[in-house]
Amino acid sequence: MSDVQLRLPLGLGHELHSLVFANGQHERVAFCLVSHARVAGATVLVARKILSLGDGDYLDDGAHGAAWRGTSMLPAIEAAMHEDLGIFLVHAHDFPGRARLSSDDLASARRLVPMFAARVPGRPHGSIVLGRGAAAGFLALPNEHARLVRDLSIRWMGKSIVDWPRANGDTRSDAEIFDRQALVVGNQDCLARSTVAVVGLCGGGSHVVQQLAHQGIGKVLGVDPDTSDLTNLHRQVGMCPADAERKSPKTKIMARLVKSIGTGTRFIGIVGRVPDAEVVEALKSADVIVGCVDNLRARADLQEVAWRYCISYVDVGVSIRPRPAAEHDPRVTIGGNVLVLVPGGYCMWCAGFLSDEKLAAETDGKGRSYFQGKKGEAQVISFNGLVASQAVTEVLQLLTAFRGSSIDPASLALEGDLQRGALKLDGVRGTLEDWGAKRRPQCPACDRSLGAGSAVWKAA
Amino acid sequence: MTPTFVTEAVQVLRNCYGDDQIRTAGDGGRTLVRVSEVDLYEGSTPRATPMLLVLDPGQPKPLAYVQPGQLLANGKAPKSTSIVMVGGESWLQFSFNIPWDESMGIIRFVAAARQRFAQDE
Repeated sequence: MSDVQLRLPLGLGHELHSLVFANGQHERVAFCLVSHARVAGATVLVARKILSLGDGDYLDDGAHGAAWRGTSMLPAIEAAMHEDLGIFLVHAHDFPGRARLSSDDLASARRLVPMFAARVPGRPHGSIVLGRGAAAGFLALPNEHARLVRDLSIRWMGKSIVDWPRANGDTRSDAEIFDRQALVVGNQDCLARSTVAVVGLCGGGSHVVQQLAHQGIGKVLGVDPDTSDLTNLHRQVGMCPADAERKSPKTKIMARLVKSIGTGTRFIGIVGRVPDAEVVEALKSADVIVGCVDNLRARADLQEVAWRYCISYVDVGVSIRPRPAAEHDPRVTIGGNVLVLVPGGYCMWCAGFLSDEKLAAETDGKGRSYFQGKKGEAQVISFNGLVASQAVTEVLQLLTAFRGSSIDPASLALEGDLQRGALKLDGVRGTLEDWGAKRRPQCPACDRSLGAGSAVWKAA
Repeated sequence: MTPTFVTEAVQVLRNCYGDDQIRTAGDGGRTLVRVSEVDLYEGSTPRATPMLLVLDPGQPKPLAYVQPGQLLANGKAPKSTSIVMVGGESWLQFSFNIPWDESMGIIRFVAAARQRFAQDE
């Protein structure tokens, strides 16, 4: 990506695109209010709100692509000031080729952007033009001089992750390795350029890492605080008995596994747990996060990181429980989930997978520090592998769009207001079905964290 | 906490610690206040820590956090702590209990939070 990327959650991106590409007598403008964060040396802008002008706000002025009353910008400016957000004026040039601001656009941007910056200091502001698959902008980032960005990176969240500009072509010299998956993957560069974070590297996560490496993902960030012991041997892919004797860190086993696969995937192991600062910093740089953790607190943290920085998150889990003795055929229930959490869509709080009551129950009503881990829970490699494989397939969809790439939320509709991507495992019946889940309109977790970026500290 | 208390608390903290020591950030309706350096008790390692106060008009009390890695005056890691994410940053949450209401003021609350690190446990 360029050193600045604008990320648009599901729904907001479609709204913005529809507004500025609408046909009419003149260009249409929209105001995109953003938070921001520094991620691996780049600036990530995350859209939190889109505001538009009414038809009556535009002036009949043939000399410009669009002209509007100055006072019509007040609601957007007031909203930005109230919520401490950056202001980006967005319009579109609906023709092919590289997007560029016209001299008229630039003159307007040079007037407006300093005014936005004066109203909401400490936030980025700018003017952006969207073309067909490309964007450019005049941006004023905090503590920097305003400048032109000719190939502004835009990330739209939808059925898949849609990046502008798209990858130019397959630059891998080892294309033969991936020849047989090309029909699904298409451009292997989509995977080779990507970073996937896998949190939890045992029963589920080790399968995920193995498959990501076979697929040729560019970089895998593997996070786990633990070392291996003999109780892991029956389910951790890549582990051998000597690892139990040596108490090898799980990250080290995964590094060895990825290297042995030899597809060029770079594995970076992080011995830690979410939300350690080092782990959060690493997760922010991922294109997709896959959570293979065994507790709800960690899931809540991963959910928050994903929503704050607009990163797609795939969560997997399996739960095996005995049935009452009187009902011994079958003698167990085997449940599990694969949740595909697209920022702007349903979150785990919306869908009831997370709640304050459930988090409290995990530690018997005490604080987080009382969580003791879940050692000894039943685990079977084949069920872990089943949900892990589906999770990797979902990552594949997010990165390559083999099922389609629409940014219209309707493309994710299951039925009614249910969104696709909440798959339920019934390991006894042998089914994995998409039950769907609903975005809750007033979800406090979404309101607080979706697109919130990093805290911006200001003098009081 | 009332919104008025939040505004006043920030002002009181500025008066107490100095303008250059206090930074604020909004976070979904809450006000995050970062005090650059709060002195702890003799022997604490480090002896001073950044402290984060979360002032949420929806909650009865503020929340206090310090930087991860803080040790007690006896050199040990405090019990019943955990790292949590607030405002996208990692902070150390610690348990302490004081009877408090906003009439007692924010400084009393900070003093009680500091006291937690003087405990010998």
